[in-house]
Amino acid sequence: MILEKRKKRKDLNAAAVAAAAGREAGEAPIKANRITKEYLGGQVVALDDVTLEIRENEVTAFIGPSGCGKTTMLRLMAGLEYPTRGEVSMYGQQIRGPGPERGMVFQAYTSMPWLSVFDNIEYGMKIQGVPKEERRARAEHFLKLVHLDDFSKAYPAELSGGMKQRVAIARTLAQNPDLLLLDEPFGALDAQVTWEMEEMVIEIIGSENKTVVLVTHDIQESIYLADRIIFFTRQPGKIKEDIAMDFKNGKRFARKEELLSQPGYVDMERKLYAMMREEIQGRIS
Amino acid sequence: MSSMDERATSAQGQGKAPKFIPPRERFLELRGTISSKWAIILGILGMIAFFAIWEGGHYITPEAQQRFLPSVEQVIGTIVQLLSEKDYFSDVMISCYRIYLSFFAACALAVPLGVFMGCFIRLRALINPTVGGLRYLPAASFVPLLLVWFGPTDFSKLALLFLGCVFFLTALVLDNAMAVPKELIESAMTMGAKRRQVVFGVIWRAASPAIIDSMRNMIAISWTYLVIAEIVAATDGIGAVMMRGGRFLHVDIIMGGILTIGILGVLTDIAFRLVRRTVVPWAYVRRG
Repeated sequence: MILEKRKKRKDLNAAAVAAAAGREAGEAPIKANRITKEYLGGQVVALDDVTLEIRENEVTAFIGPSGCGKTTMLRLMAGLEYPTRGEVSMYGQQIRGPGPERGMVFQAYTSMPWLSVFDNIEYGMKIQGVPKEERRARAEHFLKLVHLDDFSKAYPAELSGGMKQRVAIARTLAQNPDLLLLDEPFGALDAQVTWEMEEMVIEIIGSENKTVVLVTHDIQESIYLADRIIFFTRQPGKIKEDIAMDFKNGKRFARKEELLSQPGYVDMERKLYAMMREEIQGRIS
Repeated sequence: MSSMDERATSAQGQGKAPKFIPPRERFLELRGTISSKWAIILGILGMIAFFAIWEGGHYITPEAQQRFLPSVEQVIGTIVQLLSEKDYFSDVMISCYRIYLSFFAACALAVPLGVFMGCFIRLRALINPTVGGLRYLPAASFVPLLLVWFGPTDFSKLALLFLGCVFFLTALVLDNAMAVPKELIESAMTMGAKRRQVVFGVIWRAASPAIIDSMRNMIAISWTYLVIAEIVAATDGIGAVMMRGGRFLHVDIIMGGILTIGILGVLTDIAFRLVRRTVVPWAYVRRG
C-alpha cells in the first residue's frame, strides 16, 4: 500500500520533471498539432486539421458559434477525449489522458456533494498525496482567495451557483496545475454573478500567474478576460481568426467598466459580433 | 403640490403598509403546503378510514358468512392469542431472519456487481443481458426447482427470497451508478484520480443515497415473496402459520398474518430511512 503510494507520487513527479524539462527547452505549454476530431464515424467533423499553440502565462479564449468544436479542443487538452488524427502535447509530452497538471473547471457543478467546501478544496491534493500540513495551508489560502472563508464547513448543496463555481476554481488552483482549463465556467450563472466571477478570475490570474485556456460563447467575457482570442468556425471546426487583444496594451482591468472606456474596445466587440453573425448566417441560408 | 403627493413615488413608504391576507389553501390545492402536524393527522385519518372500511365490511356481511371477514378486533385478538398460546413470536422471528439474511446476501452480491457494471462498460456488456433477462423469471417458478435441489429445507426458502430480489437489485444499482454525473467523474480524473479512486471515491460515494433507496424498495418486494417461500413444506414462519390457518378456514389467522407482515414492512421501511439519514446525512442538506 505504502509502496503503491510512493510509486504514484513518483509517477506524478516524473510527469512534473518531464514538463519542467520541456519548459526549459522552450516548448509551448500546449501544442495542438493538426488535430482532427470526428464523431459518429466521420458524419460530424468537430475539428478539421487544426494547429495551435497556447503561450505561457497567457489567457487564451476559444470563442465561436455553438457546435464549433471549441469545447472539444479544450477536452482534448484535458485528455478527456482523444483526437481522431494529430496530437496534442504539453511541454513536448504527448497528452494521453487526464492529469492533475491540467486542472479543469466545468460548466456543470462538480463539487463532491458529500464533502464540505474545505474538504472539496483539499480533495485534489489528497489524491495527489500532498502532506496534511501543506494541504491545509494551501486549502486555506485558496478558500480566502475565492472569498469563501465563512463557508468552509458548508456542504455544496447549501451554496449558490456562483459559490459552487468558486469552490471549483479554488479546488482546481489548489491542485497547482500548470494549465488552467475553463469550460464555460460561468455559463449557468446569472449576469451579475458572472460579472463578479470574471473580476475574481482577473484578480486570481494576476496573483497566481497561470496559463489559462477559456471556452466561452460570451463575446464581452472573452474580450475582458483574454490576452488572445481564437475564433472557431462551425462544422467543420477550423480557426477563423487568431486575434491578439493588442488594444489592451497588455493590461488587465480589475473592473470590467474600465475596459469599456479603453480605446479600441468597441471596435473589437463590433468585429467579433460581425464574425459571429457571419458564421451563424452562413449556416442558416 | 398636493397633486405631487398623490403621485406614486418609488421612495421609502411611510405609515402602515396595506394588510395582505393570502388566499386560503383549498383541500385540493395544487402542490400546496402542509404543516408536519397536519401531515401526521391526515396520515392517521387515512389509516383509520382503512380500518373503518374493513370493520364496516364485517358488519354488513350476513352473519353466516361473517367468519370469512372477521372484524379488526377479532384479528388483533387472534394475533394476541397466537402470541401468547402458539409461540407466534418465534414464527415472526424466523420469517424476519429469512427475509434479512437472504436480502443482505442478495445485497452483498448485487450492490458491488451493479456498481462495477456501472463503472466498466465491458463488464456491463458481459453481464447485463443475462441479468436483465433473469429479472423476467417469476420467483415462484423457482419453487419446484429449489424443492428438487434442496428439499423442503430452510436453505431452499432463503434461496427463493434471494433469487426474488438479486436480479432486480442489480439492475437498480446499475442505474444508480450510471446516474452519477459524468462531470463528477471527469473532474476527479483531471485532479489525478486513478481508476480505483474514481470507483470507490466518487461513483460509489455519489451513488450511495440512491443505492440505499433501491435497497429499501427491494426489501419491500422481498416481503411480498415471504408467503410464497413459506407456503411449500414449511412448518414455521408467518407464511406457514397462514397456510395452516387457511387449511381450517381460519380467516382470522390469515388476516392476522397479513397484518403482521404489513406492520413489519412499515417498521423495516422506517429503519431504512433512519439508516439512510445516519449513513448519508449530506444527501439531506438543502439550501436556505
